Amino acid sequence: MVRRGRVHTLLAATLVAGAALAGCTQEDQEPVTVGLITKQEENPYWVEMREVAQDTAADLDVELLTATGESDTDVASQERALEEMVAEGADGILIAPTDAEALSAAITRAQEAGVLVIAVDTPTDPPEAVDATFATDNERAGELIGRYAAAKAAELGLEPRIATLDLTPGVSTGEQRHAGFLSGFGIEEGDAAIVASVDTEGDRDKAAVAMTQVLAEHPDVNVVYTVNEPAALGALAALEDAGADMDQIVMVSVDGGCRTMREGVRPGLIDATASQYPQNMAREGVEAIADAVREGDQPTGYLDTGTELISDDPVEGVESRRVEFGVRTCWGS
Amino acid sequence: MATVPAETDADQRSAPLVAQHLRVPFILLVLCFAAWGMAANLTDILVGVFRGIFSMSNFQSSLVQFAYYGAYFLLAIPAAFINSRFGFKAGVLVGLGLAALGGFLFIPASQLLAYNMFLLALFVLAAGLSILETSANPFVIAMGDEASSTQRLNLAQSFNPVGANLGVLMGAVLILPNLTPEESKTIMSEAELVASQEADLLLVLRPYLVIAAILVAIWLLIAFRKMQLPSQPEAVDLTEGGGGTLARLWANRHYRYGVLAQFFNVAAQTCTWTFTILYAQDVAGTSSAAAGWWLQASLLIFLVSRFVMTWLLGIVRPALLLLVMALFGVACCLTSMFVLNVVGLIAVVAISAALSLMFPTIYGLALQGLGPDAKFGSAGLVMAILGGALVPMIHAAVMDSAGSAAGYVVPGVCLALVAAYAVFDLRTDRPDAAPAPAPEVGAQEW
Repeated sequence: MVRRGRVHTLLAATLVAGAALAGCTQEDQEPVTVGLITKQEENPYWVEMREVAQDTAADLDVELLTATGESDTDVASQERALEEMVAEGADGILIAPTDAEALSAAITRAQEAGVLVIAVDTPTDPPEAVDATFATDNERAGELIGRYAAAKAAELGLEPRIATLDLTPGVSTGEQRHAGFLSGFGIEEGDAAIVASVDTEGDRDKAAVAMTQVLAEHPDVNVVYTVNEPAALGALAALEDAGADMDQIVMVSVDGGCRTMREGVRPGLIDATASQYPQNMAREGVEAIADAVREGDQPTGYLDTGTELISDDPVEGVESRRVEFGVRTCWGS
Repeated sequence: MATVPAETDADQRSAPLVAQHLRVPFILLVLCFAAWGMAANLTDILVGVFRGIFSMSNFQSSLVQFAYYGAYFLLAIPAAFINSRFGFKAGVLVGLGLAALGGFLFIPASQLLAYNMFLLALFVLAAGLSILETSANPFVIAMGDEASSTQRLNLAQSFNPVGANLGVLMGAVLILPNLTPEESKTIMSEAELVASQEADLLLVLRPYLVIAAILVAIWLLIAFRKMQLPSQPEAVDLTEGGGGTLARLWANRHYRYGVLAQFFNVAAQTCTWTFTILYAQDVAGTSSAAAGWWLQASLLIFLVSRFVMTWLLGIVRPALLLLVMALFGVACCLTSMFVLNVVGLIAVVAISAALSLMFPTIYGLALQGLGPDAKFGSAGLVMAILGGALVPMIHAAVMDSAGSAAGYVVPGVCLALVAAYAVFDLRTDRPDAAPAPAPEVGAQEW
C-alpha cells in the first residue's frame, strides 16, 4: 500500500508539474472600448482591417465598435460614426479618414471628450490633427517597385519607355507612391523616359481605358507603373487586348491583395508588387489603445505598418520576398 | 517484430481478450499506441511552424522529419536487441523513459531558442517511441491467451490513428491559430522578434510537455507493477537472418522491389502530410489555423478510405487495386502542381485516399510466398521507413527552388514507382503462391 501511495504521489506530482508547465493564467483586465471607422466595405482591404481588429479585440478582451462609410469619399458617415462612438464611451478610435482635412473638427471634438484618435491607412492634414498615424510608408512602397522596375528593365535590355497610371491629383497616397517610384527608378519628374502619366483614381475600368489610350499614342511602352492593383488589373486587360508581349513589359504595382497575388503576381503578369498590411494597422491600433488605457502608454507620431516587395521573378541586387510569402500575408480572399 | 501463432475463429471467440490481472497494463499500453501516433503527426505540423518561427527555408525545416524518422530507422535494431536481452517490459520502460526525456528536452530548446536543440529533442523522443513501439507490439501479444493475440494487437493498434488525429487536432487548436502572424513580424524590432519567437515556441512546448507527462505517468504505473505474462512471444533473433535467408530474399524480385515500393510509399505519405499545411498556406492562401484542419481532413480520409479499401480488397486483386490507387495518387499530385487554388489543395488531401491501402498491400505482396523467410523479410519492409526521413528533404528542396506547388512532383514520382511495382507484380509470375501474411501483426503502420 505504501508503495502504491508513493507511486500515486509521484504520479500526481508528475501530472501537476506537467499541467503547471503546460498551463497559463488569465488575469482580470481593465475594460477597454475601441472604435474602428473604415471608408467602405466594397474593397476587401477594409474588410480585412475590420476582421483583424475584431480578432485582436477578442484576444485582448477589448470591446470593439465598428462603422464604415459608403464610399472612399463619404465624409458625413464618418463624422456621424465619430460622434456616436464618443457617445458610446469609446476610449480610443481608429479612423481611416475619407478626407484628410474635412474631419478635423469632428476629430478635435472627440479628443476634447478624452478620446484617443489614431489615423489608420490615410494620414490627416495636418498629421498632428490626430494623436498618432499608423500607415504604410507609401513613398517607400513606390521606391521598392521603382528599384525593381529599373533592374528588371536593365536585365531585359530594355530602353525604358515608362507609363505611370496614377491616382488623383492632390491625394497624398498616390503622390507619395509616384514620387517613390521615380526615386527608386533613378529618374526625376519630366525625365524623357516617362512617355505618359495618367490619372485612374485607382479604378480598374478607368485604368483599362487610360492604358488603351496610352498604347494608342505610345505602342512602345515597356515599363508600366500602377498606383494600386485594381489599376494594374485594368492595365493588364488593355495590354492583353492590344496583344502586347508581356515578357517584354515590366509591370509593377502596390497593394498586396490576395486575388492579384494569385492571378497577377504568381503567373508573372505583374512582375512585382509592394504589399501593404491593413492587418498590421488594425492589430497595432487596437493594441495601442488597449495599452494606453491599461498601461498608460500614449501612442504618438507615425508608425510604419510595413511594406514588402513581392515577386515571382526576383532580380539581382533588389531584395524581394517570394510569392509564397505574398500569398500567406496578403489581404482579402 | 514478433509473429503470432495461427489460431482458429473458435479459439478467438472463446479466449479472453486480456488476462484479468493485466487489464490496467493493457490500457496503459493502448495509451502508448495512441501516444506515438500523436507525436508522429504533431511532428507534421512542426515543419511549417519552425519555418515561420525561425524564418528558414523549407529544406531546413524538413530536417524535423529527418530527425524524427531517422531516429525510428536507427533505433529499430537496438530496440529489438533490448527486447531480446532484457525483455519486453524493460523495452517498454526504456522507450517510455527516452520518449519522455525527449519531450522534456523541449524545455531547454525553447529557452535557448535553438532549432538544433529541437531537432535533438525530436530525435530522442522518436528514439524512445521507436523502442516503445518495437517492445509494445509483442508485449501486447503476450498479455493474454495466444488465441486472442491477433485481436488484442489489432485493438491496440487501432488507437494509433486515434492518437494521430489527436496530434493534428492539438496542433490545429493549440499551436497554429495562436502563432505570431507573419506580416506583423515585418515591422518588429529585434527584441520584439525574439519575444514573438519565445511566445510561439511556448505554444510548441506545451503539447510536448503534456505528452511527456503522460509518458512519465505510464512509466511509473508500469514500472511498479509486477506482471506475470500468460504467454511469452518469441523474441526476434537477430542472427536468424543468416546469409541463406538474405540471399533468398535478395534473389526474390517481388520482395526486393517490394522493399523499394514500401520505401517510396512511406516517403510519399510523409511528404504529403508534412507539406499539406505549407501547401494550404503558400498556394491556396488559407490561414495557418485553417491549414491545420486540411491536414486533419487528410487523416480522416485516410482512416475512412482504409475501411473502403479493405472491402474492395475482397473483390479486386490487391496488386490491381494498388495500381489504380497509385495512379489516382499520381493524378492528385499533378493536379496539386498545376491547379494552384483550393482544387489543388483538395487534390493534396485526396492523396491520402490513395495512400490508405498501400502499406498493408505492399507488405502482403512483398512477403507472399516467402515461407519461413517472411519473418526476417518483414524487418526490411519496416526499415523502409527510411523513406520518411530522406525524401521529404528532396520535396523541400524542390519547394525552395521551384515553388511550394512544384514540390508535389516528389510524392508524384514516389507513387508512380509504387504503381510500377504493382504492374511488375501483375505481370510477373511468383515462384511460390503461398498466401500473403497479415500485415497488421507485428508491423506498425506508417
